[in-house]
Amino acid sequence: MASSKCTSLSGALSRQLTLTLLDSVDSVLFDCDGVIWRGDQTIPGAPEVINSLKKNGKRVFFVTNNSTKTRQMYADKLGKLGFNATADEVFGTAYCSAMYLKNVCKLDGKVYLIGSNAMKQELEEVGIQPVGVGPDPISGVQIDWANVPLDKEVQAVLVGFDEHFSYMKLNRALQYLCNPDCQFVGTNTDTRLPLEGGKAVPGTGCLLKAVETAAQRQAQVVGKPSSFMFECVASQFDLDPQKCLMVGDRLDTDIMLGSNCGMKTLLTLTGVSTVAEAEANQKSECPHRQRMVPDYYVDSIADILPALQA
Amino acid sequence: MAGAVGGGRGCVTLRGAQIRDLLDSKHNVLFDCDGVIWNGEAAVTGAPEVVSLLKQRGKRVFFVTNNCTRPRENYVQKFSRLGFTDVAEEEIFSSAYCSAAYLRDVARLQGKVFVIGCSGVMKELQDAGVPVLEEDEAADREPGISIYNYPLDPDVKAVLVGYDENFTFMKLAKASCYLMNSECLFLATDPDPWHPLRGGRITPGSGSLTAALETASSRKATVIGKPSRFMFECIASQFDLDPDRSLMVGDRLETDILFGSNCGLSTVLTLTGVSTLEEAHRYRDSEEPGQKDCVPDYVVESVADFLEALEE
Repeated sequence: MASSKCTSLSGALSRQLTLTLLDSVDSVLFDCDGVIWRGDQTIPGAPEVINSLKKNGKRVFFVTNNSTKTRQMYADKLGKLGFNATADEVFGTAYCSAMYLKNVCKLDGKVYLIGSNAMKQELEEVGIQPVGVGPDPISGVQIDWANVPLDKEVQAVLVGFDEHFSYMKLNRALQYLCNPDCQFVGTNTDTRLPLEGGKAVPGTGCLLKAVETAAQRQAQVVGKPSSFMFECVASQFDLDPQKCLMVGDRLDTDIMLGSNCGMKTLLTLTGVSTVAEAEANQKSECPHRQRMVPDYYVDSIADILPALQA
Repeated sequence: MAGAVGGGRGCVTLRGAQIRDLLDSKHNVLFDCDGVIWNGEAAVTGAPEVVSLLKQRGKRVFFVTNNCTRPRENYVQKFSRLGFTDVAEEEIFSSAYCSAAYLRDVARLQGKVFVIGCSGVMKELQDAGVPVLEEDEAADREPGISIYNYPLDPDVKAVLVGYDENFTFMKLAKASCYLMNSECLFLATDPDPWHPLRGGRITPGSGSLTAALETASSRKATVIGKPSRFMFECIASQFDLDPDRSLMVGDRLETDILFGSNCGLSTVLTLTGVSTLEEAHRYRDSEEPGQKDCVPDYVVESVADFLEALEE
């Protein structure tokens, strides 16, 4: 597998290669941001690709580190943008973190949540009660903050994307995490959330880093490249990784996940990573970097459409 | 002088005559504040007398603190309140004061600084005449303005992050946007991940906010506070200090003692604050490079141990 890597599937001569690749897999897992859409705009051709894959009998899943939407919200967005998809095909970190807390942490109590209403909903759906969502402004003086009342039923702190992040939330998380028995989970470590037009917003990774630094503890991370995201899909749909193709735009999350789980990997260039970065990883001696080399790459996911429609 | 030569570091517990000999060999004594001369609003017993006696013996005394929550004039009041007589503003070096000095004298900033910081930081910048971009929280609430869409001021040429109890996602977003310009300076007042409060409680420190911004911008901040050398250089530029004749007294191995090592000072750890003797021994016995720099030359239970030597 390792000998021929980083092969382009764009261009006229690649159709056979693409057909062979597609014939060798029964499931395709797509990252979302930078692969099938950017913000609220689809990457041209992406809906046709997903819909054609399904017509060709392939199973399609959406695996995203973005924690701001529930599975149903993603299904709604996918539908609105012309993708033929259902909620159970979507695996975002809001849903996967809830599954992680329930099945891996075996949480038997509440969670202090720095995150969105979507995360709150997914947690409630699996029977875990979150506390702390929403704005949390500062009041009082320093000694009050160290003595904020703590909910005795909280057994974990979960950090996801939260536009209401504040010093007070950071402080509360720290107070809970001073108890070494309190579990510490983060949705993902992405440093930036890319938006339309080249703008970006600080990502969950920044908030998680703040909490980790204050608490001098490392979080258990649910999102890519952690293999938990794949295990979540595989356990519900009985996937064979060798028959799976992971499609993403980030070498350090999507492609790394693919390598870690034994899937084939396809990098699209409509997002974060570049071919130059992939080739530099390929030339490097470092085993960690070698896991961030895709098997194939395309300029855009639309480039596989001709092969699909053949 | 037992254990004083560089490389012979070993957590030597000081008593009586040894303290007198050490102090005789030094002209300048630099004290950290929190956990060394006071804890919260209570002076460490004997600390005011120690400072007074050192000055009477002709030593120069300086206070070097990473705590950026007060401007120097407030520190003067605190010293007075806690029974330290005649501590002058010029002798107090906080990370806020030194950050302002850095922007004005070292960076020679032409333009504004975007600040994530408390009122203590703002006041020092004001006093130093460094132009600050005023936070306009009302403007942040205008319709259409959000973390995805906000105006930037083209005059901003530096970002300074310090302790800020009003830290918000919006501030993080704006700061990381300014830092996308590689010409924009990136400063942090201090690296402390948490600050100790009374009763063993802690609260998030500047270091945790800096970590968020470093992650957002993929850039490393220039840190002004201990263990970085800058605070010492700031004092030295005003008072002509000889590191060989200077002593650093602190309670936090990773900041005070490392600072002392970095600046070529002899170091004393007091046990009235954050770090423990066990932690000091762990650094001493560690194989890892760099860890030895966190090992203090000497250890005392409290600065009050100096009294015996000074009262003779």
